[in-house]
Amino acid sequence: MLVHTHDEPRTTGAATGLPVGSHAMSTALPPPESDAARSARFERDALPHLDSLYSAALKLTRNPAEAEDLVQETFLKAFASFHQYKDGTNLRAWLYRIQTNTFINNYRKKQREPLQSSTDDVEDWQMARAEGHTSGGLRSAEAEALDSLPDSDVKAALAALPEDFRMAVYYADVEGFAYKEIAEIMGTPVGTVMSRLHRGRKLMRAHLADYALERGLIRSGAQGDPS
Amino acid sequence: MSCGNHHDLDCGEALDHLYEFLDGEVGPTDHDQIAQHLQECGPCLKEYDVERIVKKIVARSCCEVAPAQLRSRLVAELASVRVQIPPTSQG
Repeated sequence: MLVHTHDEPRTTGAATGLPVGSHAMSTALPPPESDAARSARFERDALPHLDSLYSAALKLTRNPAEAEDLVQETFLKAFASFHQYKDGTNLRAWLYRIQTNTFINNYRKKQREPLQSSTDDVEDWQMARAEGHTSGGLRSAEAEALDSLPDSDVKAALAALPEDFRMAVYYADVEGFAYKEIAEIMGTPVGTVMSRLHRGRKLMRAHLADYALERGLIRSGAQGDPS
Repeated sequence: MSCGNHHDLDCGEALDHLYEFLDGEVGPTDHDQIAQHLQECGPCLKEYDVERIVKKIVARSCCEVAPAQLRSRLVAELASVRVQIPPTSQG
C-alpha cells in the first residue's frame, strides 16, 4: 500500500518549487526600489525566460504570429505589475500564470477547436482509442523506435491534443514544472493536473504510435503484443 | 492488471502511480516501493520504459527559440513603456 503523498516530492521540477507569488523568507521591509532599478531587474531576471514563454505560447495558440503577440503582451503586463512580484519567489511560474490568463482573456475565443476546448469535452471514443492502442503496451523495442521519430512528428502529436492536456504535458515534460506549480499556472487543483497529464500522455502515446507505424518504424499490430 | 507473480506492491498500484514516479512526485517511501516493483516486474518495467521515452522525446522535440525580431521588439517596447511610466510613490 502506498503512502501516496504529493506534498513531499522526492525531487521538484526545474523551478524553485515555491508557490507562485509566495513571500520570500525575509521579514524586513526592503528599501524602496527606483524605476530604473526595477527595469534593470526585469530585463535581467524576466527576459531570459523569453524562449520558454514563446514555446508555451506557440503550444497555446498553435500560430506563430499569435504566439508572438501573446508573449509581447505577457511581458508588457508582467513589467507593469513587476512591483508586485516578490524577489526570490518563482518568477518563471509567475510569468506563465500571466501568460495563461492573457491567453484565456484575449486569445482563446479566437481558437477554432469546438470539441477540444476543454478537458471535459474529449469524446469517450478518443480515450477508448488511446487506451486500446496502449493496453498491451508498446514493447521496449518499439518504444525505442519512437525515439527516432523526427521532432516534427512529436510537435504535431502534441499540437493535436486538446488544449488542457497539451499544456499539462508541455509544462511537465518540457518545462519540468512540479504538479503544484502546474496547478498554480493552470488555476486548477493538483488532482486535475494529474488527470490531464494521465489522459494527455495516453493520447500522446497513441498519436506517436500512429506516426511510428506510418513511417514503418514499428510493425502493424505490434502495439497489442503482450510479450 | 497483474503479471500473475506476487509483489509487495501489486501491479495495479504500481501502474497507478507510474506517472508520479516518472515525474519525481512521490515521497521517498513510495519511490522505493515502486522502484523495487519495477526491478521485479518485467511487464511494468516495459510500461515504464515507454512512458519514460515518450516524456524524453516530448522534452527533446517541443521547445522553441523565440524569433530574434520578437526579442528586439520587446526590448524596444519595454524601453518606451519605461519612459511613459510616471515615477511611483515619490511624494
